[in-house]
Amino acid sequence: FPIYAQQAYESPREATGRIVCANCHLAQKPVEIEAPQAVLPNTVFETVVKIPYDNNAKQILGNGSKGGLNVGAVVILPEGFKLAPANRLSPELKEKTKNLYIQPYSTKQSNILVIGPIPGDKNREIIFPILSPDPAKDKQAHFFKYPIYVGGNRGRGQIYPTGDKSNNNLISASASGKINKIEALEKGGFIVHITSTKDSEVNQSIPAGVELKVREGETIQLDQAISKDPNVGGFGQNETEIVLQSPNRIKGMIAFFFVSVLAQIFFVLKKKQFEKVQAAEMNF
Amino acid sequence: MSILKKPDLTDPKLRAKLAKGMGHNYYGEPAWPNDLLYVFPVVILGTIACSIGLAILEPSSLGEKSNPFATPLEILPEWYFFPTFNLLRVIPNKLLGVLSMAAVPAGLLTVPFIENVNKFQNPFRRPIATTIFLISTVITIWLGIGATMPINNAITLGLF
Repeated sequence: FPIYAQQAYESPREATGRIVCANCHLAQKPVEIEAPQAVLPNTVFETVVKIPYDNNAKQILGNGSKGGLNVGAVVILPEGFKLAPANRLSPELKEKTKNLYIQPYSTKQSNILVIGPIPGDKNREIIFPILSPDPAKDKQAHFFKYPIYVGGNRGRGQIYPTGDKSNNNLISASASGKINKIEALEKGGFIVHITSTKDSEVNQSIPAGVELKVREGETIQLDQAISKDPNVGGFGQNETEIVLQSPNRIKGMIAFFFVSVLAQIFFVLKKKQFEKVQAAEMNF
Repeated sequence: MSILKKPDLTDPKLRAKLAKGMGHNYYGEPAWPNDLLYVFPVVILGTIACSIGLAILEPSSLGEKSNPFATPLEILPEWYFFPTFNLLRVIPNKLLGVLSMAAVPAGLLTVPFIENVNKFQNPFRRPIATTIFLISTVITIWLGIGATMPINNAITLGLF
């Protein structure tokens, strides 16, 4: 949940470049970002975060039943960039983003946007409408190339901020020894009775929804995985670059290109003219 | 269309030079002013325009402030160090790794001496030197691509 990061971290990006979501969503999965190469100041543009995953993937929910995956994303924009206000959106963009509730990371950092968790089946591609700053009004903004960092997640996390593990985890044996009995509980879940090598019995309870991969009578080692890994999701991060482009520079560049092409043409013409002189005089 | 100087074969000086394989500037298109005055500025202007276009459309980003107390998750040197960087991270022994880096310029230094008995300068007539150069170029590019990949694909590039 983005709220966990918002409560615990002032900035979601650590000094190492890691986005803090990875502290709870331990599995690594790819994420893609699409942003324009350059934007003009004070313009609304869209950035697309793609969070691909298998259509048939089902994850274990908090109560142990199976369900669809949720997705969420964080976009760390350069300072000055922010979420486009609703009155600046084109009707087309409004239609595309009407189901997305994107919010700034914190009141201080309007350049960091978070969304989620939202159902993943319709939202593999999350569109962020973004308003670029205007260096004429905002002294912090400059015409420059900036990095955009993005993190995207699908599925539930493995650890809560308190440090407790969620049930979306591989379960490992709490003792080595022989499995005496696997007791199925009415509410779902199991109790695994392990007779440890020291002849003491250890009872390990397994939460509902987890599939065991050991049987009664098997000998297991401490920390050996006794369940299948229920996690199908994962978190990924990526980055791209965007140029905040000044319209005046573009105009100047086009004018300069025009002048230099003209000059080149005249040089060639002059050469052709002089060749005629050379041909007439034949004195080289 | 274009103007050409023809060799004046009645000139004994030119004939002597041609016999030695010289004298190319006695015929062909004159360098001054046809090339130097008219075509060079065309090329110079084109180069300047390309640089200006790149500087405006794709300015180089400043990047992040470096923090000496936080190593980035992915470390990569400048692109021209990729091959040796890959050697360093793949070879488990640090001394061997450093020696393998030092071996690169040392190996390059030997190239002119390996075939020194051979009097030709043409690469096609220096087969050993040319072969060593081509093979090491391929290895260098291969290792350089491998440096950008995760460590388990560093040598195979994930192809095998």
